[in-house]
Amino acid sequence: MIAFTASGLLILLSLSIPVGIVLFLLAFGIDHFFSPFPLMRGLGQVVWSSSNSGTLVAIPLFVLLGEVLVRCGVARRTYEALDAWVSWLPGGLIHANVATATMFSATSGSSVATAATVATVATPQAEKLGYDPRLFSGAIAAGGTLGIMIPPSINLIVYGFLTESSIPQLFLAGLVPGLLLALLFMLVTAVLCMINPSLGGPGRHSSWSQKFAGLRDLAPILGLFAIVIGSIYAGWATPTEAAAVGVAIAILIALQLGKVSKAMIFDSLRGTMRTTAMIMLVVIGAYVLNFVLTAAGVSRALQELLQGLGLGPLATLMVIILLYIVLGFFIETLSLMVATIPIVVPIITQLGYDKIWFGVLMIILVEMALITPPVGLNLYVVQSARKSGSISDVMVGCIPYALAMLFMVAALIILPGLALYLPSTL
Amino acid sequence: MTKLIDRLRRINDGLAVVAGLALLACVAFTIIEIIMRQLGASLGGTDEISGYVMAIATSWGICYALTALAHVRIDLLRTRLVPAGRAVLDLIAMLSLTATALVIAYRTWPVLSKSLQTGARSNTPLETPLWLPQTLWWIGWVWFAVSALLLSAAVLMYLLQGQNKKIDAIAGVRSEG
Repeated sequence: MIAFTASGLLILLSLSIPVGIVLFLLAFGIDHFFSPFPLMRGLGQVVWSSSNSGTLVAIPLFVLLGEVLVRCGVARRTYEALDAWVSWLPGGLIHANVATATMFSATSGSSVATAATVATVATPQAEKLGYDPRLFSGAIAAGGTLGIMIPPSINLIVYGFLTESSIPQLFLAGLVPGLLLALLFMLVTAVLCMINPSLGGPGRHSSWSQKFAGLRDLAPILGLFAIVIGSIYAGWATPTEAAAVGVAIAILIALQLGKVSKAMIFDSLRGTMRTTAMIMLVVIGAYVLNFVLTAAGVSRALQELLQGLGLGPLATLMVIILLYIVLGFFIETLSLMVATIPIVVPIITQLGYDKIWFGVLMIILVEMALITPPVGLNLYVVQSARKSGSISDVMVGCIPYALAMLFMVAALIILPGLALYLPSTL
Repeated sequence: MTKLIDRLRRINDGLAVVAGLALLACVAFTIIEIIMRQLGASLGGTDEISGYVMAIATSWGICYALTALAHVRIDLLRTRLVPAGRAVLDLIAMLSLTATALVIAYRTWPVLSKSLQTGARSNTPLETPLWLPQTLWWIGWVWFAVSALLLSAAVLMYLLQGQNKKIDAIAGVRSEG
């Protein structure tokens, strides 16, 4: 039964059948071959209850928030402002790449959108100023992955929904590791550029008046982030309510910049529906598969198998982490998450690990999947914005940052408080 | 056939915009609810209505994502094939999707028909008659099956005619998210 599920998953995925559909097909197969009673009669109810959710509305709203912001051109202003603040470090403008990605992560819940936004504004600079294209584009691809870690994160909402954990707690748990990861990326950049100055450009010095002028451009985004996350943290608003307020503020920012038009709003809505529907088909498929796996006893069988191996909790965790790294080479973030959550999370909680903590750990692992070839969406997004050079430049440039992520995984295992301290204050 | 698929695209595009506008309405309701709460009153039921909008927007949006080629596919093997091989994989993908869509449309009907028969209302202060949101939701899934059937027919026809480029245009893989 386990072999059937695992091999079925890999074969159907490699046939390039849509991921959401693969999950449905597996559920049909397990129901047909292994279930003692027909489960598919309940399918309709499962589909209804997995999409009729006031919690999940937060997904389209956070996507919409990002879509509106991207369309009002704040990306370039943010980049210029952050350039003034951080580019004096060894490595110059590369730090602005990481910082801008971090900033956008804090407003957009998607990594690909973050990478795309930063890549569009940053890449023209690399050629003009003679940066090493590898590290420069690697920093954008890696920085972009922070989008799913720093709240609001759509992936954390999906994780919370599928594992029935608190989304405010998950958001807070992701905040410190996300910011630390951003600092780690900058540290890696600075160290590499001190060892080999030809990798980066010269440090860029801006006057204090330039810096303060930049603050005016940063203020709206920082304010937006503070209101959205602050109101969740203070318990004033649910994530859905905070997202609604965020959308309203984003539209106000766009209005103030004179970017609102019917076409702009409609395009944002289309983009939102495209992303949301893509996510929801996978989420509903995972929900259905989850229901079938539990009812047919696959999850229990897998737990028994793992226990039979006689590994301790830490060794089992290591096996699971290794599994994610390997699968991450081939499968994309959200698909990787939802296909494995029904199987892995019950095992993890049974081993005595915290669900919220593991959510953050899993996010770092799937962030790595975004920048590991051959399937790493951010690599392609950054490459398509560069318009020259080879994709292998981006891949090489990502290596130091991927290692930084591994370091963060180790840090989280040794110090679970990095993730768990903030939610415990809630 | 090309004309028919074009029309399908335009219809699904319209569905997406309408669903998106419904989401914007949810934003407005939610903000009014937050303000009212500060004033000590409450609209009530915002969360419940948002849930219905989400269910409906999902089933409608899934149709749009289908014609906009937005459903994620792992194309590791696919990109390494010659165009004819890709076209065959696109056909397999579209047929599996169509079969699944038909099963979903068939299996979701009892949810709606039961609400219609019993006149079930939600267990909340709003006491929403459930058939209301469920009808719009179910129509989305039926339309998903219809769209998938039309696309499958088109892919099959183009495959027989050897028009691989057209298959890629209506059922290929777009990598940007």
